[in-house]
This record gives sequence, C-alpha cells and structure tokens, in this order.
Amino acid sequence: MFDILFIGLSLSSILLLVALGLAVTYGAMGIINMAHGEMVMIGAYVAVLSNIWLGANLLLAIPLAFLVTAALGYGLERLVVRRLYGRLLDTLLATWGIAILLQQAIRLEFGLTFFGIHIEGLGSGLQNVPVPQFLQGTLGLFGLQLNSYRVFIVLVTLALAGLTWFTLYRTPLGMKVRAIIRNPQMASACGIDVKATNAITFALGSGLAGVAGVLMAGFRSVSPDMGATMVVDGFMVVVTGGVGSLLGTVAAAGILGEINALVAIFFNEIAGRASVLLVVILVILLRPAGLFSFKGR
Amino acid sequence: MTSLLTNYRIWAYLVFFAILLALPLTGDDFWLNRVAKYLCFGMLGAAIALTWGYAGVLNLGQGLFFGLGAYAMAMSLKLASYTSLQQGSDQPVPDFMLWNAQPGASTDLCCITPGSWLWIPFQSQWFGVAMAIIAPVIVATLLGKLIFGQRISGVFVSIITLALVLLARLLLVDAQPVTNGFNGLTDLGYFNLFGTELDPYAVTTYYVITIALIVVLTLARLLVATRAGTVLQATRDSQTRALYLGYDVPAYQTFFFAVSAAISGLAGMLYVVVAEFASPSFLDLTFSVTMVVWAAVGGRGSILGACIGAILINVLEARASETEALVEAWKAIVGLVFVLVVIWLPQGLGGFAHDMMRRLTGRRRPEALKQEVRQ
Amino acid sequence: MTVYALQTEGLGVSFGRFRAVDGVSLNVAKGELRVLLGANGAGKTTLMDLISGRTRSTAGRVLLNGRDVTNLREFRIARAGIGRKFQIPSIFTGLTVRQNIEVAQSRHPGVFSNLRIGRSAADRARVEEVIDLVGLSDQMKTEAGTLSHGQIQWLELGMLMIQSPEVILLDEPTAGMTQAETGKTAAIINRLKGDHTLLVVEHDMAFVRDIAEKITVLHLGRVLAEGTVAEIEGDAAVRAAYLGSQEISAC
Repeated sequence: MFDILFIGLSLSSILLLVALGLAVTYGAMGIINMAHGEMVMIGAYVAVLSNIWLGANLLLAIPLAFLVTAALGYGLERLVVRRLYGRLLDTLLATWGIAILLQQAIRLEFGLTFFGIHIEGLGSGLQNVPVPQFLQGTLGLFGLQLNSYRVFIVLVTLALAGLTWFTLYRTPLGMKVRAIIRNPQMASACGIDVKATNAITFALGSGLAGVAGVLMAGFRSVSPDMGATMVVDGFMVVVTGGVGSLLGTVAAAGILGEINALVAIFFNEIAGRASVLLVVILVILLRPAGLFSFKGR
Repeated sequence: MTSLLTNYRIWAYLVFFAILLALPLTGDDFWLNRVAKYLCFGMLGAAIALTWGYAGVLNLGQGLFFGLGAYAMAMSLKLASYTSLQQGSDQPVPDFMLWNAQPGASTDLCCITPGSWLWIPFQSQWFGVAMAIIAPVIVATLLGKLIFGQRISGVFVSIITLALVLLARLLLVDAQPVTNGFNGLTDLGYFNLFGTELDPYAVTTYYVITIALIVVLTLARLLVATRAGTVLQATRDSQTRALYLGYDVPAYQTFFFAVSAAISGLAGMLYVVVAEFASPSFLDLTFSVTMVVWAAVGGRGSILGACIGAILINVLEARASETEALVEAWKAIVGLVFVLVVIWLPQGLGGFAHDMMRRLTGRRRPEALKQEVRQ
Repeated sequence: MTVYALQTEGLGVSFGRFRAVDGVSLNVAKGELRVLLGANGAGKTTLMDLISGRTRSTAGRVLLNGRDVTNLREFRIARAGIGRKFQIPSIFTGLTVRQNIEVAQSRHPGVFSNLRIGRSAADRARVEEVIDLVGLSDQMKTEAGTLSHGQIQWLELGMLMIQSPEVILLDEPTAGMTQAETGKTAAIINRLKGDHTLLVVEHDMAFVRDIAEKITVLHLGRVLAEGTVAEIEGDAAVRAAYLGSQEISAC
C-alpha cells in the first residue's frame, strides 16, 4: 500500500512543481500563462546545455535555470503580458502564441539552423541528462525501497512550496503582491509600484517553472514539446485547488496525484488519467471557486 | 430593409461566396481538394465566433464536436469501403476489427469485438450524416445545461471544455476494438450523394462543401441578427441584467452552444468526405486551440471574418509547407502573428475591416465586441 | 381584504449566525411608491435581493398580487412582474442604446419565439418613445459602454420602463449623480409612479421628499418604523437608530 501511495506522492510532486509557478502567475496575477509549460521546457534545456557545455551536474543547473527562466519571464511580462491585464482570455491566447515561439526557438536553435549552424543539445531531437551519482539507486525507508531521485523530487518540491509560501506571506514583496490581488488601483494609490511588482511576480512564477524543468530533465527525456501538456495539468491543479489559494494548490496536487496513482494501479493508466480529468470537471461544476477557496461575502 | 444594397457587410458575404464559387475555374483539382478541407475549417472558425464573439463563451474543446461529426461520418464511409465489403461475411466489417477480434469470434458486425454492434446502424450513410449533427448537439445541450445552469462562465467554461475534450480523446484511443484507437479510421469509401460518388478530388465534391459553407454562414449570420441573437450578445455583456429582464440566460447560452456544436459536427463530417480519414488528433488540445487562433486572427466578433481567417491561415500554411525549410519557421510566424494580433488587433482582421469601412462610410459599428467580461 | 401589489411576510435570511434580514413584513399597495430607508448594513439591498431572487430567503414569503413567488429563479420572478435596477448600473455595454431598450422589450422571453428578425411598427415606436422619455434620443446608435454615468442610469431606467413590470425595485437610483441629474431622475421616477408599484432605496433626503409617499425604515434587518415623510422625520426611535449608527459609519 505504501508503495502505491509513494507513486501517487511522486506524481503529486510533479504536478505541484508545474502548478506552483502557475499558482503565482494565475492565482496571484490573473494571467493565464499558456507558455508556462515552455518555461519548464526551457529550464530542462538549461540542464541539458549546462551538462553538455559546462559539465555541470543537475544540482548546479537548478539556480542557473531559475535565473534564465526568471529573466525570460521578466522580459515577457514587459513586452507582452503587461498590455493584457484585465483581458483574461486574451492572456491565454497571447501566451499560447509565445509558447509556440519558444518551442520553435529551441527546435530551430534560435534560427541558426537556417545558417547551417548546429548547437549541441538543441534542435528537435530528444535529450537526456544524467542524474548525479548519489541520487541514483534506491533508498530504504519504512522497509520500502524507494527510488532516490523520486524522493529527492518530493523533498525539493516541498521546499519550493515552502519558499513560495514564505515569499508570498512573509516578505514585503509578498505583501505587495497580495495587496495587488485584492485591489490593484488601491495598491497603486498606496504607493506600490504595481507594474514593477507584477513584473517581478511573473519572473518568480517563471523561475519556479525553470526549476521544475531541471528536475524533470532528470527522469524523462527532454524535447521542445514536452511542456505543452504540462500546462494543462498545472491549470487543472490550480483551478481545482481554488484560485489564489496556495494551500489549495498543494492539496489539489496531492489529491489528484494520489487519485491518478490509485486508479491506475487498480484499473489501468488511461483510467487513472481519465479519473483525474473527471474529478477536475466535477469540481468546477460543483464548486466553481475550487476546493479550498475562502468564501467571500 | 431599404439599406440592404448599401450595406457593405452583405456585399462582403456576396463577394466571398462568389470567389468560392468561381474557384474551380482555376482547374487545379489538387488545390480544390485542399481548399475544400479549409472550407470545413472555415465553418469551425464561424462556430467559434458564434460562441466566443457573440456569447463570450470560449470553448477550448470545439474539437470534440468536430471529432464526433468526423467519426460518425467515417464509420459510415468505413463500412462503405471496398476492404470492409471483402471480409467474407454478409455485412461489411471493418478490417481492423478482424485484426482485433478474439480467435474464433464471430465475424459478424454484431459481436466481432466488444461494442462493435454500435456500428450496425452506420451501414446507412444517412444515419452517419444524421449522427454527425445529432451527437454533437446532444453532447452540447447536456454540457450547456450543466455548465450554464450552474452559472459557470469565462475561463472556467474553457477549462471544463478543455478537460472534456482530453477525456474524450483518452476514451476514444482506449476503445481500440471499436474506434481503431491511435490509428483512427482510414481507407474509407466515397460518400454517395443520390447516386453520385463524392470523389474528394472532384469538382462536384468541392461544390457540395462550398454550398454547405454558404448555407452555414448565411444561417449563422441571420441567427445573430434575430432578436435571440441580440439577447445572446446582451447576456455576454451582463448575465445579471438579462436575467432580471426575464430571460432564461442558460437556455440562450445552451441554444447557441448547441448550434455551434452542430456547425462543428457538420464541418467534421464534410472534412472526412474530402480528407478520407478520421483520427484522434481531431481531439488534440492543439487542434482545438488552433481553431481559436483562426477565429482570433479573423475576428472573433465577426462570423465571416473568423471563417475567412481560418481559410486564409490554412492556405498560407499550405503554401509555406511547400518549402521544406519553411515548415518549422511557419509555425513560429503564426505564433508571432497571433501574439501581435491579440495585443494590437483584438478584434482581428474582421474587426479591422469593420473599422476601416466605418471610417470610409462614416457609420457606427453596431455590434462590436468592445470588452470581454472580466473575471 | 385588499390584495397588495407586493407583500413580504416575515421575510428573512441568515448568513451563518448573522441575520441580515430578520422577519420583514411589507405591504405595498398597487401604484404606491415606497421608500426604504436605513443606515448602511440595515439590510435594504439584501431585502431587494430576497424579493428579486438573487439571494434565497430562509424564512417568510414574497407575494406578488397575492401569488407566491418566494425563491423562484431570478428570470421567473422577473417574468412574474418584478423588475429591478441595481446599485451599480448594469446595462449591455457592447450593444447600442437602441438595442439595450429592444432587449428589454421582452414580451416573449423564450429562445425559439425570438428567432425572428425585425419588430412591429408599434414596438419600434414604443422603443423610440422610451428612449425619448429618458432623454437619450441623440445617443440612439451609441454603444452603451461609452455613455456617461448619469446616462447609463437613465438607460437602465428606460429598460425598466419598457419592460414595464408590475413592481419595480430601484436601488439608489441617484448614487453619484449631480444635482441636475438627480432632478431629471426624480422626474423619470415620478412618471413611473401610478402605472407601476415602486420600492426605492435612497439616502438623499431631499430626493426622498421629492418622490416619497410612504417610508419604511429598516434597522439591523428589522422594520423600525413606517409612515409618511413627516411622521418618519419626527420619529424618535428612527432618529436614535439612524443618527446613532450614522456616527459609527462616519468613522
């Protein structure tokens, strides 16, 4: 039984990795960032490239990927997202366009393929990143043999969730962000630089996606379209948990991951995935505000 | 209706129809076949505009309705294909079912594979045609009653429809013995229209689809011009106000949602006639979002604009794909154009054309979609 | 026994343990204009929400001409004959002024009975008459989203006028208006009086004196007093409650 629960926990942690960044950009900023999955993908490519070109291992790629994707997110907010605040569905569409652009940028190696230049690690093929020695193999815990890397992912995810919570609820930046969620005009009137804060928040959400990408690169192959399906899963987690509730996101990731694992074990993989979609649909139908939202007046 | 002849919007429709009808004069059968496919996509664009532009409901699972229509037709045409008739039983049997059948199972359509009996009525191609419209309408009506009855709106509708199309795709692929799973339905027969076989490369087929598109566009345009169409736009702006005027808002939303589904089902059905296959890729998330891209570029608030947007993008894409190196670059260009359109031309090319005409004729835009309902 | 146009019998709702409206009984006669007074939080808007079906009541009944309409769905209550104007004006921003009024002219509210184009000459004349009455003739083809605040309020009143429900609920129709706009609004409301039964929430006492016949004062979800303008202004209990709580709300 515990091994099944651990599989579920492992699935949950991957869902949460993607959803964390979205909880920040969508939950807190009201931006539906369809390019979030591509941020994950870029993070994974940072791991690939730093492995090939710098010989750096996965752990070193984590801060690097955070910086790269956060910078990319910052630029995106300034160039595109900023023009779309208040047009929720338009943010979804514009960022979808950006997602395609990012995918193609990797596939076409930033356009260099047209000049016959090839950068190792980019292009449309599959890439793999080796896991550091000490994370290979298994770990004995409660009499179970658990995959060390999976345990590592669960721990890092929890740490990231804690960090995100701390940033949003215990720092001056988080205070500003939460003020903007409630009322941007009022926040602005109180002297908060709404534009700058939004840009930083978006960068933070994107940076989280980048870290998720590095961790994913350790257990699956990396390709330009790896992010496309992730963003959907991520959104489902955030919406199910309740928009604007970080705790809800964590809980929803846990529940959906476990449901997926349990159904998949007792029936099959497809039933597992289908049950997750079904739960999401039912939650939105029955509790449109999400499972863990605070009820307003 | 005195202004009928001076109304530029009517002229836009007429000119568009005339171009479509004159296209076979080019004599390029290969291109006619392609354009016929894009006309089906044009219907999808119009269907999206109907719900998105006029009702403010962004359906990210339109592919579900297209797929239902496509599969209903493909099942009929599969049974009409030469290979299905040559399987040594009285009734036609799809070849993949024989490959999937248990050893020693009856080779009859009723029980060759679990669920194969579902195919029995599809031996009549008109049953396939009917189901291609009815199935999407039933699904849309039930879904609409659930979603709109619960007063769910905006992005939540998008997420439900998106989850639903992904769910349907999973089930479709999983039901391998009935649907041929990942491989989809290929090797189809021709549709028989009152004795004329619709060869996908024949001019007749092109005309059948063109006329269907003309009828769909005309009806859809008339529909939004009715009082009900105005009420629908009213619900887009303020559901509450419409409710307190005594309108059953969920009923209006559901009705137009179902109409949009019917159009999509028809588009899927006709697409199968010209493309000769149905595949689970019709239910891919990417395809459903791509339809929205077409409508957004063409103009979400204009049925004709969204339709032309879909056709235009596909024609350009086909042209670009003729050069090997451009295939991948084309996708990047679409992505870029799309971002620019959403930022600078939220009403798409259709809205842009409206504004230009308004400036030229000094008239006001009567039904522009100015702002989206905020969440 | 006389049948009142609008009656509430012990109407109430509680949110958790808080009783926002607590056993309110009103009898509004046909053609009467009743003003609801009360400090912030007295339950005026909630009472309107209960009558119009926006909030489900947990106690009591709402009667329209003696017919029970308690807790029907909003559009059913509207069809039964109760129209409403919101505190925050709500109109169809993407439609023209004319289309807004046309949508409000809803004699057949079903989808299928509305699958027609065009309307009768009489209907069109009535639309233009109402637009004229609320003074928006020059804006007939203007997109409603571009109107000024006052014009939007009048447009909404015009929509109620052509919808012509038996009972009209108005929630602070003059909020945020200039004096001139308030005067015009009073004129429009006085025109509605007689043909319709009105229930109006209003704070502006000058405006209330302009339009009111009878006033009901709510306090903490209950009816505190009922009477003519003069009676209410002289009522000691009203003064105590109203002025007392106003000091609090002034903070």
